[in-house]
Amino acid sequence: MKIDLNVDLGKLKLKNPVMTASGTFGYGFEYAKFFPLEKLGAVVVKGIATFPSHGNPTPRVVEVESGMLNAIGLQGPGVEKFLHGEEYLPFLRKSNATIIVNIWGKTIDDYIEVASRLEAEKKGIHALEINISCPNIKEGGVAFGTDLKLAHKVVSEVRKVTKLPLITKLSPNVSSIKDFARTVEDAGSDMISLINTITGMAIDIETWKPKLANVTGGLSGPAIKPVALRMVYEASQAVKIPIIGMGGIMNADDAIEFLLAGASAIAVGTAIFTDPIAPLKVIEGIENYLIRKKLSSVSEITGKLIINRKKG
Amino acid sequence: MKNGEIIRNKRLKDNYFRVDFYSPELCKQAKAGQFAHVKICGIPNKVLRRPFSISDVSSEGLLTIIYKVVGAGTEALSSLKPGDTCDIMGPLGNPFSPSVKSDIPVIIAGGYGAAATYLIAKNSPSPGILLLGARTAKDLILTDEFKRLGFEVKVSTEDASEGYGGRVTGLMEELLADKNRRNMKFYACGPHGMLMAAGKLILQHGLDGELSLDHLMCCGVGACFACVVKVKADNSDGWRYARTCKEGPVFKASEVYYDLEPE
Ligand SMILES: Cc1cc2nc3c(=O)[nH]c(=O)nc-3n(C[C@H](O)[C@H](O)[C@H](O)COP(=O)(O)OP(=O)(O)OC[C@H]3O[C@@H](n4cnc5c(N)ncnc54)[C@H](O)[C@@H]3O)c2cc1C
Ligand SMILES: Cc1cc2nc3c(=O)[nH]c(=O)nc-3n(C[C@H](O)[C@H](O)[C@H](O)COP(=O)(O)O)c2cc1C
Ligand code: FES
Repeated sequence: MKIDLNVDLGKLKLKNPVMTASGTFGYGFEYAKFFPLEKLGAVVVKGIATFPSHGNPTPRVVEVESGMLNAIGLQGPGVEKFLHGEEYLPFLRKSNATIIVNIWGKTIDDYIEVASRLEAEKKGIHALEINISCPNIKEGGVAFGTDLKLAHKVVSEVRKVTKLPLITKLSPNVSSIKDFARTVEDAGSDMISLINTITGMAIDIETWKPKLANVTGGLSGPAIKPVALRMVYEASQAVKIPIIGMGGIMNADDAIEFLLAGASAIAVGTAIFTDPIAPLKVIEGIENYLIRKKLSSVSEITGKLIINRKKG
Repeated sequence: MKNGEIIRNKRLKDNYFRVDFYSPELCKQAKAGQFAHVKICGIPNKVLRRPFSISDVSSEGLLTIIYKVVGAGTEALSSLKPGDTCDIMGPLGNPFSPSVKSDIPVIIAGGYGAAATYLIAKNSPSPGILLLGARTAKDLILTDEFKRLGFEVKVSTEDASEGYGGRVTGLMEELLADKNRRNMKFYACGPHGMLMAAGKLILQHGLDGELSLDHLMCCGVGACFACVVKVKADNSDGWRYARTCKEGPVFKASEVYYDLEPE
């Protein structure tokens, strides 16, 4: 039996539900020697802004129990180098991969400008992911992702300047994820992705100093999976647009939980640091699961969580 | 034998261990200064690999790593037995440029730096000098191995428990004061502060040198920007953050940006 792994995310069609999480796969170039990028559902590149940026001081990462904290601070080349530098978009175009560009800014104008530039040179770009949720950028990022009005404004302004399918990446650092999901749907987002990292910290008890130069950072990896799963579930109850789930997916079983909770596609992040071919193993594992369950397509499991609430 | 299989894993001295992995493909490609990114088996709840310099490779496909037990990962590694298998990525990073016949290689090392530079000494056409520094005598490793390669070995300890009492840069200054020495090419690997001091000395004397700068790593291949150090750049700040895993770990002393504040 031929298993159908295609997923339909409305304006965006993928050959399978497995993408890479922004910031954990660079711009694809570094991983192309491990496997052909076109095998992925999509490659989501590290956040791009209009300007090049240094990122945060070091140390920028620290491993914690079942995960890691990072405060990279969006070091990046800026949009012009991304569009024209040989290790960036020109390379990705040649790879035949489905490309999603993650964008960020410090002001609403920054978001508008980067989206406009990408719209103007969109050959090979399949969608934009608006990162309103990076916890490591002081000036803007997090404020957009934790303020309903600003979140609405960013998405609706970006919507005006591009016809590319839009994914909005939500922050988990809010009290009601449903409200943010509804807001960005209303602002014109075609899809939602979640979760970004959860703000956290770690302290060295010998020196009494924080382990990250930035003091706080974003927690990712297996430690955040239960939270991510709950948020994907809640968001999927709140909106009609498709959901891309992520947060601590290490293997196919984890990915299937997200699909059942209501995600139409998923992204693998931190697991890539453990094993560069983790995304391929997830694709293969989902296929084997469908065979074992005698199902013919991955869409048959999206949102199929069974809840029998007992009284009393 | 399986790829990544441990052939032996023994204590070298105090907290330092030596492990040999069967890794024939890596051995064929490996050059001095590159590193291996090891997924240590048997540590639960850890997501990151651990980077280690390639200390030696053999024609039988054995990769040697010399490591110091400093935390959970290296602790777990030290308890692995022959037959246990780890997934190894590599060789990764840019190597040291090989020394040529007319050079006298001078290696400045601290901590596991002696392991990271051993292959330079082994492959060098002319014998050179190892200046090895440590806090105390028990952290001095591989001195006999370097002597066997014909290297002159000088050691320094901060507590004066062996050799010159003080920092290894003190030994370096003595050497640089000796006007009879010519064509010295410097290679350095060790703690960040030591590398910065060594790099500045090399430049002050107008000499050629390379530093192996490492930093905590995640991906090991240039994708995550965790492992950065400052290098000189043609921008308004005069520096940029370079990824040690991909653009390094070896940098020319003249490329490095010497910050006023310590990292
Ligand atoms: C390119 C490169 C080459 C290396 N080569 C060697 C080698 O040949 N031999 C060797 O013993 N070690 C080497 N290291 C350091 C080694 O990777 C760390 O000691 C190891 O990851 C610690 O793991 P752990 O789980 O035992 O300690 P953790 O619990 O992760 O950390 C324990 C302590 O070690 C420190 N530490 C962790 N990583 C590093 C690091 N990268 N550099 C300095 N201190 C660190 C931490 O800050 C902490 O204080 C190298 C590192 C890099 C980046
Ligand atoms: C080192 C690192 C860098 C990241 N950079 C970005 C980024 O540039 N843009 C973004 O939207 N998310 C970024 N993220 C968040 C991930 O895309 C993902 O949402 C999060 O890590 C949860 O998934 P995981 O547990 O599978 O890693 C980054 C995460 C990590 C660990
Ligand atoms: S460790 Fe990821 S870029 Fe160097």
